[in-house]
Amino acid sequence: MELRQERRPAERPLVSVVDDDQSVRESLPDLLGEFGFAARTFSSAEEFLASDGIDQTRCLLLDFAMPGMSGPDLQRELKLRGRRIPIIFITASTDKTVRPRLLEQGAVECLFKPFSDTALLEAINSALHLN
Amino acid sequence: MEAQPELASGEVKHLQRCINDLISLLALPAVWSGGDPSEVLHTLLDALVRMLRLDLVAVRLTDRVGEAPVEIVRIAEVRGPMPPVHDICDALSQCLEDGSQKWPPLLRNLMGEGDVSIVPLPLGLQGELGLIVAAAQRTDFPRQTEALLLSVAANQASIGLQEARLRRQQRHLAAELDRQVAERTAQLAAAEERWRSVFENSAIGVALTDVNGRFLAANPVFEKMLGYTEEELRKLSFFDVTHGEHLERNRALIGELLEGTRQQFQIEKQYRRKNGSVMWVRNNVSMVPETDRVPRFLMALSEDITERKLAEDALSKSRSELAHVGRFASLGVLTASIAHEVNQPLSGIITNAGTCLRMLAADPPNVDGARETARRTIRDGNRAAEVITRLRALYGKKDPTIESVDLNEAAREVLALSLSELQRNRVLVQQELGDGLPPVAGNRVQLQQVILNLLRNASDAMSAVDDRPRQLLIRTEGDEDDHVRLTVKDAGVGFAPQAADRLFDSFYTTKSDGMGIGLSVSRSIIESHHGRLWAALNTGPGATFSFSIPRASEAATGADSNLGIRIPDVTDAA
Repeated sequence: MELRQERRPAERPLVSVVDDDQSVRESLPDLLGEFGFAARTFSSAEEFLASDGIDQTRCLLLDFAMPGMSGPDLQRELKLRGRRIPIIFITASTDKTVRPRLLEQGAVECLFKPFSDTALLEAINSALHLN
Repeated sequence: MEAQPELASGEVKHLQRCINDLISLLALPAVWSGGDPSEVLHTLLDALVRMLRLDLVAVRLTDRVGEAPVEIVRIAEVRGPMPPVHDICDALSQCLEDGSQKWPPLLRNLMGEGDVSIVPLPLGLQGELGLIVAAAQRTDFPRQTEALLLSVAANQASIGLQEARLRRQQRHLAAELDRQVAERTAQLAAAEERWRSVFENSAIGVALTDVNGRFLAANPVFEKMLGYTEEELRKLSFFDVTHGEHLERNRALIGELLEGTRQQFQIEKQYRRKNGSVMWVRNNVSMVPETDRVPRFLMALSEDITERKLAEDALSKSRSELAHVGRFASLGVLTASIAHEVNQPLSGIITNAGTCLRMLAADPPNVDGARETARRTIRDGNRAAEVITRLRALYGKKDPTIESVDLNEAAREVLALSLSELQRNRVLVQQELGDGLPPVAGNRVQLQQVILNLLRNASDAMSAVDDRPRQLLIRTEGDEDDHVRLTVKDAGVGFAPQAADRLFDSFYTTKSDGMGIGLSVSRSIIESHHGRLWAALNTGPGATFSFSIPRASEAATGADSNLGIRIPDVTDAA
């Protein structure tokens, strides 16, 4: 069942996307907008950490494998900094053993690309309800 | 009549005695049976002293080569101390040589004063055997009869001595002959033993057959090779144990050997062992020509090459599959790579399509937004196609061609394709691809396989490293002699210095799965590009692998390239 929420711009929770892939960064903001979220995209974990998004992000869509700091690295770093931002991993990897490990580490969900928009919405909603 | 009969009787008696003595002397040689000259002389001198009432008789034999002359002296009545025999003989010779009538003092001391008559008796036809000297202190010495007896005695002595000498020579010759025969026999026995030992202990099989191929003898190695004893083999011919299609050729070659049109031949063929299994051998066969006692026969030196054959077969099989295997060796990685690469634009497409539907379902429909999603979908579709094309270029079924290859571009492509895998292993890739480097002549696909191999090895070497960044450096630069060098440096576990050479061995691997082309194949590829591939340990942790290949010259590309890479038909479909 779909859950579509009408929200005023001011109330839209910020979902940040950290992914080095162009296709992913280009496509997600509009979809997130349709879901009623605000969206910001970053092409690397370092860029995200350096920005002010770190304070405002309510949910993080995080790529798994990236050059430099990887997704799990960022997860660890945020923990160290005491930032409890719910994380949904999105990965192009086909390795199925990745998901259980990430969930164990505290991720809300791990989605395999290409994922359906409904799956994404469900995951984000769970993430937000945790707060 | 008065004194005459007495005188006559005395003379008769004397003559009788003389004849008796003669008879005795003539009988002497029969006594000298041993052939020992001393024995001859002793008996003779005894006889002379007795018969002729000599006061002194001496003999010196001079013909003994390499030995001291035999000297014997007999004195009837010794009147003083006896000087050495040698001195007596010397004095006598001196006396004879001088021709003086003076009796030397030495002898005078020995025999007392008074005149002495001496008679020299040469022994041998020219006195070459020696000399007897007879002496008596009688003025009438020698009387006629005495002279006769002396000369007969000397003759007999000569005969005896000659015989003795001959017999001695005979004995000597016989001994020498025996010795030589014994020596020769020992040599032959030793040679026989040696050859037998060669046969028995030879490291390769030796088999002898008659001209019909029937086994005559086989050494232990051959017995072991075939599993038959020599006894069993004697009931077989080698045709019986030869397996496979080599039989005809084998027969033909033997025929040529026997005809004499060839001296020997080599053949690699198969034997069937006693237990039925089949083995490969390399035989050197020659014909041994006949001798007086032995008819001609065939000799085969047989070496077991089963292992070598199997290894060769395996090697040629893997070689012939090289390009094919090389391409698909990274299949696991390839599939993961494709999936990973393609999943990104696919994800974009799905997301955009989902967005599109939502936008169109809105009230009012967000057509502009939808249009934008459509545009993005097309872009993503193109990206996906690009990935496929790139991967096909790297792993497609095209046959290797030789072209002018930009090593930087080739390296970048490989990096792009393996980036996801490297990232998954937390490898930090640093690129230092040199500017303005000349293109190299070679097979793009193969070179990329080598680069991929080096990257994967570097990544693997760092898979257990946690206390430092997993730094991978890939660099291209110019090298001397118009070469281009590509280097992959890692910060991994390195390798043992003494294993440096083994790294490039065909069977050296530290991976439990054998995926990917290994360093051995990489080295072959680089060497076929007239380059070299080598490894070195870093001053810090890890290792550096480098290859250096010559730049492309004008003539190096195209169908008449001098590279050792097989050129396919140009008409082959890509």
